[in-house]
Amino acid sequence: MEPAAVDAVVEGLKKSGVDFISLMPDSDFSVLQDRVAKDKDFTYVPVSNEAIGVAVCAGAYLSGKRPALLVPTSGLLVAAWPLTSINMAWSLPLLLLIPYRGDLGDAFWMMGPYKDTTEPLLKVLNVPYAVISKNDEVAKAIVDAQGSTISWQRPVAVLLTGETIK
Amino acid sequence: MKRFDCLKSLAALLDPSTIVVTNVGPICREWNALRPSDANLLQVNLGLCAGVGLGIAVSLPHRQVVMLDGDGNLLLNLASLADLANQNLNNVVHIVLDNESYEGGGGLKSATAGKADLAGIARSSGVPNASTVTSLEQFETVARQSLSTPGHHFIVAKVEKGSVDKLPTLTLDGKEAKYRFARHIEKTEGVQILRPRYTHL
Repeated sequence: MEPAAVDAVVEGLKKSGVDFISLMPDSDFSVLQDRVAKDKDFTYVPVSNEAIGVAVCAGAYLSGKRPALLVPTSGLLVAAWPLTSINMAWSLPLLLLIPYRGDLGDAFWMMGPYKDTTEPLLKVLNVPYAVISKNDEVAKAIVDAQGSTISWQRPVAVLLTGETIK
Repeated sequence: MKRFDCLKSLAALLDPSTIVVTNVGPICREWNALRPSDANLLQVNLGLCAGVGLGIAVSLPHRQVVMLDGDGNLLLNLASLADLANQNLNNVVHIVLDNESYEGGGGLKSATAGKADLAGIARSSGVPNASTVTSLEQFETVARQSLSTPGHHFIVAKVEKGSVDKLPTLTLDGKEAKYRFARHIEKTEGVQILRPRYTHL
């Protein structure tokens, strides 16, 4: 991610009241991860897989925090089980930020399958989402997603593509 | 050693403010019968009890958090032990009621019936105080010591399979459990969690 995109994500997270971030270290988000880890406005809990991250965020939310989970594209598949067994079953909110690898224009063969899984999986899980490709749309999308996830009590995702993950 | 006896002795040691997170299965039904409380968060599904407890313990570092985990639940996401250890928590007592089986799922053996040693794995993951107990007396001693000493404690209690007769049915589903627990935290911590209209924006 370029600095402008990182700034936009951090701006959106802060404007929306997010104060707790969990993530699985990932190359697409590495600069952003380093930034939020050092930012004292966020409680930062790195995890070893995305399923644990969903669980950690559930505990944080029920303790009064406003969590967001930064999920690598492939990690959404790992997160699917706890998104079902906790968030869907208990009706719990969660803001998901996902780099949309495998979107059109991603010229790396290994990312191709995620075009087939990412959006269909979000639909199966009944997770509303926005696909954002411009840096100047990122902050508002995060703010909107956070308002919806908290008030609707269900996960909401922002998929970052185009210039936002260059 | 019977699991119900361990939980009974634990319930007598706990402060009413202590948050307890339990897995799904017989543990949560027994715990709900012994210590009904809105400070309980019951029925956390396979692999996720430790993770939910981690999120709570980090968010509320001034509250004692007890996790009542199962061997099968923890085995599914063993990396939770490393993620917990790396937070250097001072408010966690993580108890695994290890019956070496998936009792809630039919009773087949888990990996701890073979060679897996959860206390050893926890120790190697960086959990500072990890022990295995095999008698009720040992359990009471270690539980009392862990509850009274700030830190991150991990106790594996080797228990028999089987529960007690006439255990009350747990009538709480996840949604009601969520509301009860969230309202409890709102009341005791002075925070607002549930916001039907998110007015932060």
